[in-house]
Amino acid sequence: MPFLLLLKKIKEVISLDIKNNKYYKLWFKDPITYVMGAVLLSIFQIVTFAVTGNPWGVTGSLANWGAWILELFGGSVDSWSYFSTKSAQATLKSGFLNDPGSIRNLGVIFGALFSTLMASQFKIKKIKSKKQVIAAILGGFLMGYGARLAYGCNIGAFYSGISSLSLSGWVFGIALFIGAFLGSKLLVKYFM
Amino acid sequence: MSEINSTETSASSRRSSRASSNSRRKPKKNQIPLGIGIFLFIALFGIYLSTKSNLLAFFWVTGNAFGFILQKSRFCFTASMRDPLLTGSTSLTRAVMVALAITTLGFTAIKYGAHINGLPIPGQGYIVPISFATIFGGIIFGIGMVIAGGCASGTLMRVGEGFQMQVLSLAFFVIGSLVGAHNFDWWHKMFISKGQSVFLPDIFGWAGAVVVQLLIIASVYILADKWENKKTNEAN
Amino acid sequence: MKEVVLDCLGEACPIPLVKAENAIKDLSAGDVLIVQIDHSCAMKNVPEWARKEGHNVEIEEVDDGEWEVIIEKA
Repeated sequence: MPFLLLLKKIKEVISLDIKNNKYYKLWFKDPITYVMGAVLLSIFQIVTFAVTGNPWGVTGSLANWGAWILELFGGSVDSWSYFSTKSAQATLKSGFLNDPGSIRNLGVIFGALFSTLMASQFKIKKIKSKKQVIAAILGGFLMGYGARLAYGCNIGAFYSGISSLSLSGWVFGIALFIGAFLGSKLLVKYFM
Repeated sequence: MSEINSTETSASSRRSSRASSNSRRKPKKNQIPLGIGIFLFIALFGIYLSTKSNLLAFFWVTGNAFGFILQKSRFCFTASMRDPLLTGSTSLTRAVMVALAITTLGFTAIKYGAHINGLPIPGQGYIVPISFATIFGGIIFGIGMVIAGGCASGTLMRVGEGFQMQVLSLAFFVIGSLVGAHNFDWWHKMFISKGQSVFLPDIFGWAGAVVVQLLIIASVYILADKWENKKTNEAN
Repeated sequence: MKEVVLDCLGEACPIPLVKAENAIKDLSAGDVLIVQIDHSCAMKNVPEWARKEGHNVEIEEVDDGEWEVIIEKA
Protein backbone atom coordinates (compact mmCIF):
# COMPACT_ATOMS: atom_id res chain seq x y z
CA MET A 1 0.00 0.00 0.00
CA PRO A 2 2.59 2.64 0.96
CA PHE A 3 4.61 1.66 -2.10
CA LEU A 4 1.65 2.46 -4.34
CA LEU A 5 1.26 5.80 -2.58
CA LEU A 6 4.94 6.54 -3.23
CA LEU A 7 4.56 5.69 -6.91
CA LYS A 8 1.56 8.00 -7.05
CA LYS A 9 3.59 10.83 -5.49
CA ILE A 10 6.43 10.33 -7.98
CA LYS A 11 3.98 10.40 -10.87
CA GLU A 12 2.53 13.64 -9.52
CA VAL A 13 5.92 15.28 -9.28
CA ILE A 14 6.96 14.21 -12.78
CA SER A 15 3.78 15.52 -14.35
CA LEU A 16 4.23 18.90 -12.62
CA ASP A 17 2.50 21.41 -14.77
CA ILE A 18 5.51 23.67 -14.78
CA LYS A 19 4.01 26.25 -17.07
CA ASN A 20 1.41 27.05 -14.42
CA ASN A 21 3.79 26.82 -11.50
CA LYS A 22 3.75 30.04 -9.52
CA TYR A 23 7.51 30.25 -9.08
CA TYR A 24 8.25 29.40 -12.71
CA LYS A 25 6.02 32.26 -13.78
CA LEU A 26 7.46 34.61 -11.19
CA TRP A 27 11.14 33.95 -11.80
CA PHE A 28 11.41 32.62 -15.33
CA LYS A 29 8.36 33.30 -17.46
CA ASP A 30 7.10 36.78 -16.74
CA PRO A 31 9.35 39.79 -17.28
CA ILE A 32 10.29 41.77 -14.19
CA THR A 33 9.86 45.52 -13.86
CA TYR A 34 12.50 47.99 -15.00
CA VAL A 35 12.96 49.17 -11.42
CA MET A 36 13.47 45.60 -10.22
CA GLY A 37 16.06 45.26 -12.97
CA ALA A 38 17.74 48.44 -11.77
CA VAL A 39 17.91 47.09 -8.22
CA LEU A 40 19.30 43.71 -9.28
CA LEU A 41 21.87 45.25 -11.64
CA SER A 42 22.97 47.52 -8.80
CA ILE A 43 23.40 44.58 -6.47
CA PHE A 44 25.64 42.79 -8.91
CA GLN A 45 27.57 45.98 -9.72
CA ILE A 46 28.30 46.42 -6.03
CA VAL A 47 29.19 42.74 -5.64
CA THR A 48 31.54 43.05 -8.63
CA PHE A 49 33.19 46.15 -7.21
CA ALA A 50 33.62 44.60 -3.77
CA VAL A 51 35.20 41.42 -5.11
CA THR A 52 37.24 42.60 -8.09
CA GLY A 53 38.10 46.14 -7.04
CA ASN A 54 36.61 47.48 -10.25
CA PRO A 55 33.10 48.19 -11.50
CA TRP A 56 31.42 46.44 -14.44
CA GLY A 57 32.86 47.28 -17.84
CA VAL A 58 32.14 45.86 -21.28
CA THR A 59 34.12 47.49 -24.04
CA GLY A 60 37.70 47.19 -22.81
CA SER A 61 37.77 43.55 -23.80
CA LEU A 62 36.24 44.20 -27.20
CA ALA A 63 39.41 45.95 -28.33
CA ASN A 64 41.26 42.79 -27.30
CA TRP A 65 38.88 40.70 -29.41
CA GLY A 66 39.82 42.92 -32.34
CA ALA A 67 43.49 42.44 -31.63
CA TRP A 68 43.16 38.65 -31.44
CA ILE A 69 41.20 38.54 -34.68
CA LEU A 70 43.81 40.73 -36.35
CA GLU A 71 46.46 38.30 -35.14
CA LEU A 72 44.46 35.45 -36.67
CA PHE A 73 44.87 37.21 -40.00
CA GLY A 74 48.60 37.55 -39.48
CA GLY A 75 48.60 41.09 -38.16
CA SER A 76 50.00 42.40 -34.91
CA VAL A 77 49.15 45.21 -32.50
CA ASP A 78 52.40 44.98 -30.55
CA SER A 79 53.68 48.25 -31.99
CA TRP A 80 50.52 50.18 -31.06
CA SER A 81 50.91 52.44 -28.05
CA TYR A 82 47.39 51.47 -26.91
CA PHE A 83 48.53 47.87 -26.39
CA SER A 84 52.06 48.69 -25.29
CA THR A 85 51.55 48.58 -21.53
CA LYS A 86 52.74 45.51 -19.65
CA SER A 87 49.25 44.57 -18.56
CA ALA A 88 47.81 44.98 -22.06
CA GLN A 89 50.57 42.78 -23.47
CA ALA A 90 50.04 40.19 -20.74
CA THR A 91 46.29 40.10 -21.45
CA LEU A 92 46.86 39.70 -25.17
CA LYS A 93 49.39 36.95 -24.69
CA SER A 94 47.23 34.88 -22.34
CA GLY A 95 44.26 34.90 -24.66
CA PHE A 96 40.45 35.04 -24.61
CA LEU A 97 39.81 32.26 -22.09
CA ASN A 98 42.07 33.93 -19.55
CA ASP A 99 40.72 37.45 -19.99
CA PRO A 100 38.20 38.17 -17.21
CA GLY A 101 36.46 40.89 -19.20
CA SER A 102 36.01 38.65 -22.20
CA ILE A 103 34.65 35.86 -20.02
CA ARG A 104 32.20 38.26 -18.44
CA ASN A 105 30.98 39.50 -21.84
CA LEU A 106 30.50 35.91 -22.96
CA GLY A 107 28.61 35.35 -19.73
CA VAL A 108 26.22 38.21 -20.53
CA ILE A 109 25.37 36.50 -23.81
CA PHE A 110 24.77 33.14 -22.13
CA GLY A 111 22.82 34.65 -19.25
CA ALA A 112 20.46 36.29 -21.70
CA LEU A 113 20.19 33.06 -23.71
CA PHE A 114 19.39 31.09 -20.56
CA SER A 115 16.75 33.63 -19.53
CA THR A 116 15.07 33.57 -22.93
CA LEU A 117 15.06 29.77 -23.21
CA MET A 118 13.64 29.24 -19.73
CA ALA A 119 10.78 31.54 -20.69
CA SER A 120 10.37 29.60 -23.93
CA GLN A 121 10.74 32.86 -25.83
CA PHE A 122 13.85 32.18 -27.89
CA LYS A 123 13.58 32.85 -31.59
CA ILE A 124 16.22 33.60 -34.19
CA LYS A 125 15.42 36.99 -35.64
CA LYS A 126 16.93 37.16 -39.11
CA ILE A 127 18.14 40.39 -40.65
CA LYS A 128 15.26 41.62 -42.73
CA SER A 129 16.52 44.48 -44.86
CA LYS A 130 19.56 46.23 -46.23
CA LYS A 131 18.74 49.15 -43.93
CA GLN A 132 19.27 46.90 -40.92
CA VAL A 133 22.64 45.77 -42.28
CA ILE A 134 23.85 49.34 -42.75
CA ALA A 135 22.45 50.38 -39.38
CA ALA A 136 24.19 47.50 -37.60
CA ILE A 137 27.53 48.11 -39.32
CA LEU A 138 27.51 51.87 -38.89
CA GLY A 139 26.06 51.80 -35.39
CA GLY A 140 28.38 49.08 -34.16
CA PHE A 141 31.44 50.82 -35.55
CA LEU A 142 30.51 54.20 -34.04
CA MET A 143 29.95 52.57 -30.66
CA GLY A 144 33.26 50.74 -30.76
CA TYR A 145 35.23 53.80 -31.77
CA GLY A 146 33.43 56.15 -29.38
CA ALA A 147 33.94 53.81 -26.43
CA ARG A 148 37.70 53.87 -26.90
CA LEU A 149 37.79 57.67 -26.90
CA ALA A 150 35.68 57.88 -23.77
CA TYR A 151 37.32 55.00 -21.91
CA GLY A 152 34.08 53.06 -21.97
CA CYS A 153 30.46 52.68 -22.98
CA ASN A 154 27.02 53.04 -21.42
CA ILE A 155 28.23 50.68 -18.69
CA GLY A 156 31.89 51.49 -18.12
CA ALA A 157 31.93 55.20 -18.83
CA PHE A 158 28.35 56.10 -17.93
CA TYR A 159 26.87 53.69 -15.37
CA SER A 160 30.12 52.77 -13.62
CA GLY A 161 31.69 56.19 -14.15
CA ILE A 162 28.88 58.11 -12.49
CA SER A 163 28.52 55.54 -9.71
CA SER A 164 32.25 55.92 -9.05
CA LEU A 165 31.69 59.65 -8.44
CA SER A 166 33.63 60.63 -11.56
CA LEU A 167 32.53 63.82 -13.28
CA SER A 168 33.49 62.18 -16.59
CA GLY A 169 30.45 59.93 -16.22
CA TRP A 170 28.09 62.90 -16.23
CA VAL A 171 29.86 64.60 -19.15
CA PHE A 172 29.72 61.34 -21.11
CA GLY A 173 26.06 60.95 -20.15
CA ILE A 174 25.15 64.35 -21.54
CA ALA A 175 27.05 63.53 -24.72
CA LEU A 176 25.19 60.20 -24.95
CA PHE A 177 21.90 62.05 -24.70
CA ILE A 178 22.88 64.45 -27.47
CA GLY A 179 24.01 61.51 -29.58
CA ALA A 180 20.77 59.66 -28.90
CA PHE A 181 18.85 62.70 -30.08
CA LEU A 182 20.86 62.88 -33.31
CA GLY A 183 20.62 59.12 -33.74
CA SER A 184 16.84 59.21 -33.38
CA LYS A 185 16.62 61.76 -36.17
CA LEU A 186 18.77 59.57 -38.41
CA LEU A 187 16.82 56.47 -37.44
CA VAL A 188 13.47 57.92 -38.40
CA LYS A 189 14.78 59.48 -41.59
CA TYR A 190 16.90 56.65 -43.00
CA PHE A 191 16.43 53.43 -41.11
CA MET A 192 12.70 53.00 -40.59
CA MET B 1 -25.66 22.14 -46.35
CA SER B 2 -27.18 24.94 -44.41
CA GLU B 3 -25.95 28.42 -44.78
CA ILE B 4 -25.56 30.40 -41.64
CA ASN B 5 -26.33 34.05 -41.98
CA SER B 6 -23.80 35.81 -39.86
CA THR B 7 -24.37 39.38 -38.89
CA GLU B 8 -20.84 40.23 -37.97
CA THR B 9 -20.46 42.26 -34.86
CA SER B 10 -17.07 43.70 -34.08
CA ALA B 11 -16.57 41.18 -31.28
CA SER B 12 -17.31 38.13 -33.36
CA SER B 13 -15.26 39.36 -36.32
CA ARG B 14 -12.34 39.95 -33.98
CA ARG B 15 -12.75 36.47 -32.53
CA SER B 16 -12.99 34.85 -35.93
CA SER B 17 -9.92 36.54 -37.36
CA ARG B 18 -7.89 35.61 -34.32
CA ALA B 19 -9.29 32.10 -34.38
CA SER B 20 -8.09 31.73 -37.95
CA SER B 21 -4.63 32.98 -37.03
CA ASN B 22 -4.76 30.51 -34.12
CA SER B 23 -5.21 27.60 -36.47
CA ARG B 24 -2.31 28.80 -38.61
CA ARG B 25 -0.01 28.83 -35.58
CA LYS B 26 2.46 26.05 -35.14
CA PRO B 27 2.21 24.33 -31.75
CA LYS B 28 4.47 26.13 -29.27
CA LYS B 29 7.62 24.25 -28.48
CA ASN B 30 8.67 23.95 -24.88
CA GLN B 31 12.19 25.34 -24.64
CA ILE B 32 12.64 24.71 -20.93
CA PRO B 33 14.67 21.52 -21.51
CA LEU B 34 16.99 23.57 -23.74
CA GLY B 35 17.19 26.15 -20.98
CA ILE B 36 18.18 23.51 -18.47
CA GLY B 37 20.75 22.22 -20.93
CA ILE B 38 22.26 25.68 -21.28
CA PHE B 39 22.29 25.98 -17.51
CA LEU B 40 24.27 22.77 -17.28
CA PHE B 41 26.76 24.18 -19.78
CA ILE B 42 27.00 27.43 -17.81
CA ALA B 43 27.63 25.49 -14.61
CA LEU B 44 30.19 23.15 -16.15
CA PHE B 45 32.03 25.97 -17.88
CA GLY B 46 32.11 27.82 -14.57
CA ILE B 47 33.64 24.81 -12.87
CA TYR B 48 36.20 24.51 -15.65
CA LEU B 49 37.12 28.18 -15.27
CA SER B 50 37.48 27.80 -11.51
CA THR B 51 40.22 25.23 -12.12
CA LYS B 52 42.17 28.03 -13.80
CA SER B 53 41.23 30.77 -11.37
CA ASN B 54 38.35 31.54 -9.04
CA LEU B 55 38.37 35.09 -10.33
CA LEU B 56 37.62 33.93 -13.86
CA ALA B 57 34.73 31.85 -12.56
CA PHE B 58 33.46 34.92 -10.71
CA PHE B 59 33.51 37.03 -13.87
CA TRP B 60 31.61 34.22 -15.67
CA VAL B 61 28.95 34.04 -12.97
CA THR B 62 28.43 37.79 -12.74
CA GLY B 63 28.34 38.06 -16.52
CA ASN B 64 25.55 35.49 -16.61
CA ALA B 65 23.77 37.33 -13.81
CA PHE B 66 23.92 40.62 -15.73
CA GLY B 67 22.71 38.94 -18.91
CA PHE B 68 19.84 37.24 -17.11
CA ILE B 69 18.76 40.42 -15.35
CA LEU B 70 18.99 42.57 -18.49
CA GLN B 71 16.89 40.10 -20.48
CA LYS B 72 14.35 39.41 -17.75
CA SER B 73 13.69 43.11 -17.15
CA ARG B 74 14.10 44.20 -20.80
CA PHE B 75 16.44 46.85 -19.38
CA CYS B 76 17.81 49.14 -22.07
CA PHE B 77 20.15 52.10 -21.59
CA THR B 78 19.61 53.05 -25.23
CA ALA B 79 15.88 53.36 -24.66
CA SER B 80 16.47 55.39 -21.49
CA MET B 81 18.10 58.10 -23.60
CA ARG B 82 16.18 57.68 -26.85
CA ASP B 83 12.58 57.23 -25.77
CA PRO B 84 12.10 60.60 -24.05
CA LEU B 85 12.70 62.24 -27.40
CA LEU B 86 11.27 59.63 -29.73
CA THR B 87 8.18 58.38 -27.92
CA GLY B 88 7.86 60.56 -24.83
CA SER B 89 8.35 57.63 -22.48
CA THR B 90 10.75 57.96 -19.54
CA SER B 91 10.12 54.77 -17.57
CA LEU B 92 13.57 53.45 -18.43
CA THR B 93 15.20 56.83 -17.83
CA ARG B 94 13.80 56.77 -14.32
CA ALA B 95 14.88 53.16 -13.80
CA VAL B 96 18.43 54.09 -14.84
CA MET B 97 18.34 56.88 -12.24
CA VAL B 98 17.37 54.31 -9.61
CA ALA B 99 20.30 52.13 -10.67
CA LEU B 100 22.69 55.09 -10.53
CA ALA B 101 21.49 56.05 -7.05
CA ILE B 102 21.79 52.59 -5.53
CA THR B 103 25.12 51.81 -7.17
CA THR B 104 26.51 55.20 -6.12
CA LEU B 105 25.73 54.38 -2.51
CA GLY B 106 27.30 50.93 -2.69
CA PHE B 107 30.43 52.06 -4.53
CA THR B 108 30.94 55.06 -2.27
CA ALA B 109 30.61 52.90 0.83
CA ILE B 110 33.36 50.63 -0.44
CA LYS B 111 35.58 53.51 -1.51
CA TYR B 112 35.06 55.45 1.68
CA GLY B 113 35.67 52.37 3.78
CA ALA B 114 39.03 51.91 2.11
CA HIS B 115 39.82 55.61 2.46
CA ILE B 116 39.17 55.93 6.18
CA ASN B 117 41.18 52.76 6.80
CA GLY B 118 44.17 54.23 5.02
CA LEU B 119 43.92 51.74 2.16
CA PRO B 120 44.19 52.62 -1.54
CA ILE B 121 40.77 53.47 -2.95
CA PRO B 122 39.63 50.77 -5.42
CA GLY B 123 38.26 51.50 -8.86
CA GLN B 124 39.90 54.90 -9.30
CA GLY B 125 40.91 53.84 -12.80
CA TYR B 126 37.35 54.68 -13.76
CA ILE B 127 37.94 58.35 -12.85
CA VAL B 128 39.06 59.35 -16.32
CA PRO B 129 40.14 62.67 -17.85
CA ILE B 130 37.40 64.85 -19.29
CA SER B 131 38.21 66.29 -22.70
CA PHE B 132 36.76 66.79 -26.14
CA ALA B 133 37.37 63.09 -26.67
CA THR B 134 34.86 62.28 -23.90
CA ILE B 135 32.23 64.43 -25.54
CA PHE B 136 32.93 63.34 -29.10
CA GLY B 137 33.10 59.70 -28.05
CA GLY B 138 29.82 60.01 -26.17
CA ILE B 139 28.03 61.65 -29.05
CA ILE B 140 29.07 59.07 -31.63
CA PHE B 141 28.35 56.27 -29.18
CA GLY B 142 24.90 57.74 -28.63
CA ILE B 143 24.25 57.95 -32.36
CA GLY B 144 25.55 54.42 -32.86
CA MET B 145 23.53 52.82 -30.11
CA VAL B 146 20.25 54.25 -31.36
CA ILE B 147 20.89 53.28 -34.97
CA ALA B 148 22.12 49.82 -34.06
CA GLY B 149 19.16 49.18 -31.76
CA GLY B 150 21.24 48.52 -28.66
CA CYS B 151 24.16 49.73 -26.61
CA ALA B 152 27.13 47.64 -25.45
CA SER B 153 25.30 45.57 -22.84
CA GLY B 154 22.14 45.56 -24.92
CA THR B 155 23.99 44.22 -27.95
CA LEU B 156 25.45 41.32 -25.95
CA MET B 157 22.02 40.60 -24.49
CA ARG B 158 20.38 40.57 -27.91
CA VAL B 159 23.03 38.24 -29.33
CA GLY B 160 21.91 35.84 -26.60
CA GLU B 161 18.28 36.39 -27.59
CA GLY B 162 18.97 35.41 -31.18
CA PHE B 163 19.03 38.72 -33.04
CA GLN B 164 21.20 38.39 -36.13
CA MET B 165 21.35 42.16 -36.50
CA GLN B 166 23.11 42.51 -33.15
CA VAL B 167 25.62 39.80 -34.09
CA LEU B 168 26.57 42.01 -37.02
CA SER B 169 26.55 45.07 -34.77
CA LEU B 170 28.87 43.30 -32.32
CA ALA B 171 31.27 42.37 -35.11
CA PHE B 172 31.60 45.99 -36.15
CA PHE B 173 31.70 47.10 -32.52
CA VAL B 174 34.86 45.00 -32.27
CA ILE B 175 36.27 46.47 -35.48
CA GLY B 176 35.45 50.01 -34.34
CA SER B 177 37.14 49.28 -31.02
CA LEU B 178 40.28 48.13 -32.80
CA VAL B 179 40.36 51.20 -35.04
CA GLY B 180 39.73 53.37 -31.99
CA ALA B 181 42.59 51.69 -30.19
CA HIS B 182 44.79 52.31 -33.20
CA ASN B 183 43.90 56.01 -33.24
CA PHE B 184 43.91 56.33 -29.47
CA ASP B 185 47.44 57.71 -29.39
CA TRP B 186 46.41 60.69 -31.54
CA TRP B 187 43.35 61.42 -29.43
CA HIS B 188 45.44 61.12 -26.30
CA LYS B 189 48.06 63.55 -27.52
CA MET B 190 45.56 66.04 -28.91
CA PHE B 191 42.87 66.04 -26.23
CA ILE B 192 42.88 63.40 -23.51
CA SER B 193 46.28 64.26 -22.07
CA LYS B 194 45.16 67.86 -21.67
CA GLY B 195 41.98 66.81 -19.88
CA GLN B 196 41.27 66.77 -16.20
CA SER B 197 40.02 63.88 -14.09
CA VAL B 198 37.56 65.02 -11.48
CA PHE B 199 36.73 62.84 -8.48
CA LEU B 200 33.69 64.52 -6.93
CA PRO B 201 34.74 64.00 -3.27
CA ASP B 202 37.85 66.08 -4.05
CA ILE B 203 35.53 69.02 -4.68
CA PHE B 204 32.60 68.43 -2.35
CA GLY B 205 34.04 66.09 0.24
CA TRP B 206 32.74 62.53 0.54
CA ALA B 207 29.34 63.30 2.06
CA GLY B 208 28.92 66.38 -0.09
CA ALA B 209 29.68 64.48 -3.27
CA VAL B 210 27.09 61.82 -2.47
CA VAL B 211 24.47 64.40 -1.54
CA VAL B 212 25.09 66.49 -4.66
CA GLN B 213 25.03 63.44 -6.91
CA LEU B 214 21.86 62.04 -5.37
CA LEU B 215 20.22 65.47 -5.69
CA ILE B 216 21.11 65.60 -9.38
CA ILE B 217 19.81 62.06 -9.88
CA ALA B 218 16.57 62.94 -8.07
CA SER B 219 16.18 66.07 -10.18
CA VAL B 220 16.61 64.14 -13.41
CA TYR B 221 14.07 61.61 -12.11
CA ILE B 222 11.50 64.32 -11.40
CA LEU B 223 12.16 66.03 -14.73
CA ALA B 224 11.76 62.73 -16.53
CA ASP B 225 8.50 62.01 -14.73
CA LYS B 226 7.08 65.43 -15.55
CA TRP B 227 8.26 65.12 -19.14
CA GLU B 228 6.38 61.88 -19.65
CA ASN B 229 3.21 63.32 -18.11
CA LYS B 230 3.50 66.33 -20.38
CA LYS B 231 3.97 64.18 -23.46
CA THR B 232 1.04 61.92 -22.54
CA ASN B 233 -1.24 64.92 -22.04
CA GLU B 234 -0.16 66.42 -25.33
CA ALA B 235 -1.02 63.23 -27.16
CA ASN B 236 -4.49 62.93 -25.63
CA MET C 1 -15.16 48.28 -36.47
CA LYS C 2 -11.89 48.08 -38.28
CA GLU C 3 -9.18 45.61 -37.47
CA VAL C 4 -5.70 46.49 -38.66
CA VAL C 5 -2.80 44.07 -38.43
CA LEU C 6 0.66 45.64 -38.18
CA ASP C 7 3.41 43.17 -38.99
CA CYS C 8 6.50 44.26 -37.08
CA LEU C 9 8.24 40.90 -37.06
CA GLY C 10 12.00 41.27 -37.42
CA GLU C 11 11.97 45.00 -36.72
CA ALA C 12 14.59 46.51 -34.46
CA CYS C 13 13.82 48.55 -31.36
CA PRO C 14 11.98 50.98 -31.31
CA ILE C 15 10.36 50.59 -34.67
CA PRO C 16 7.32 48.54 -33.57
CA LEU C 17 6.37 51.26 -31.09
CA VAL C 18 6.84 54.11 -33.55
CA LYS C 19 4.84 52.26 -36.22
CA ALA C 20 2.08 51.49 -33.73
CA GLU C 21 1.91 55.13 -32.65
CA ASN C 22 1.52 56.22 -36.26
CA ALA C 23 -0.97 53.49 -37.13
CA ILE C 24 -3.36 54.19 -34.27
CA LYS C 25 -3.84 57.75 -35.45
CA ASP C 26 -5.79 56.46 -38.48
CA LEU C 27 -8.18 54.42 -36.36
CA SER C 28 -11.43 55.46 -34.72
CA ALA C 29 -12.63 54.55 -31.25
CA GLY C 30 -13.47 50.87 -31.04
CA ASP C 31 -11.13 49.87 -33.87
CA VAL C 32 -8.54 47.24 -33.13
CA LEU C 33 -4.84 47.39 -33.91
CA ILE C 34 -2.97 44.10 -33.75
CA VAL C 35 0.79 44.57 -33.56
CA GLN C 36 2.76 41.45 -34.37
CA ILE C 37 6.18 41.51 -32.73
CA ASP C 38 9.10 39.27 -31.94
CA HIS C 39 11.16 41.78 -29.95
CA SER C 40 11.21 41.33 -26.18
CA CYS C 41 11.50 45.11 -25.62
CA ALA C 42 8.40 45.74 -27.71
CA MET C 43 6.26 43.29 -25.73
CA LYS C 44 6.83 45.66 -22.82
CA ASN C 45 7.01 49.14 -24.34
CA VAL C 46 4.11 48.85 -26.79
CA PRO C 47 1.53 47.78 -24.17
CA GLU C 48 2.98 50.32 -21.72
CA TRP C 49 2.46 53.12 -24.23
CA ALA C 50 -1.00 51.93 -25.24
CA ARG C 51 -2.23 51.69 -21.65
CA LYS C 52 -0.82 55.12 -20.88
CA GLU C 53 -2.89 56.46 -23.79
CA GLY C 54 -5.96 54.89 -22.24
CA HIS C 55 -6.59 52.09 -24.73
CA ASN C 56 -7.54 48.51 -23.87
CA VAL C 57 -4.57 46.23 -24.32
CA GLU C 58 -4.15 42.47 -24.45
CA ILE C 59 -0.93 40.59 -25.08
CA GLU C 60 -0.96 37.11 -26.52
CA GLU C 61 2.12 34.96 -26.87
CA VAL C 62 1.45 33.29 -30.20
CA ASP C 63 4.68 31.35 -30.52
CA ASP C 64 8.11 31.08 -28.92
CA GLY C 65 9.35 34.65 -28.96
CA GLU C 66 6.37 36.01 -30.91
CA TRP C 67 3.59 38.11 -29.51
CA GLU C 68 0.46 39.88 -30.67
CA VAL C 69 -0.34 43.12 -28.90
CA ILE C 70 -4.05 43.69 -29.36
CA ILE C 71 -5.01 47.32 -28.86
CA GLU C 72 -8.59 48.50 -28.83
CA LYS C 73 -8.65 52.24 -29.41
CA ALA C 74 -10.47 54.07 -26.67
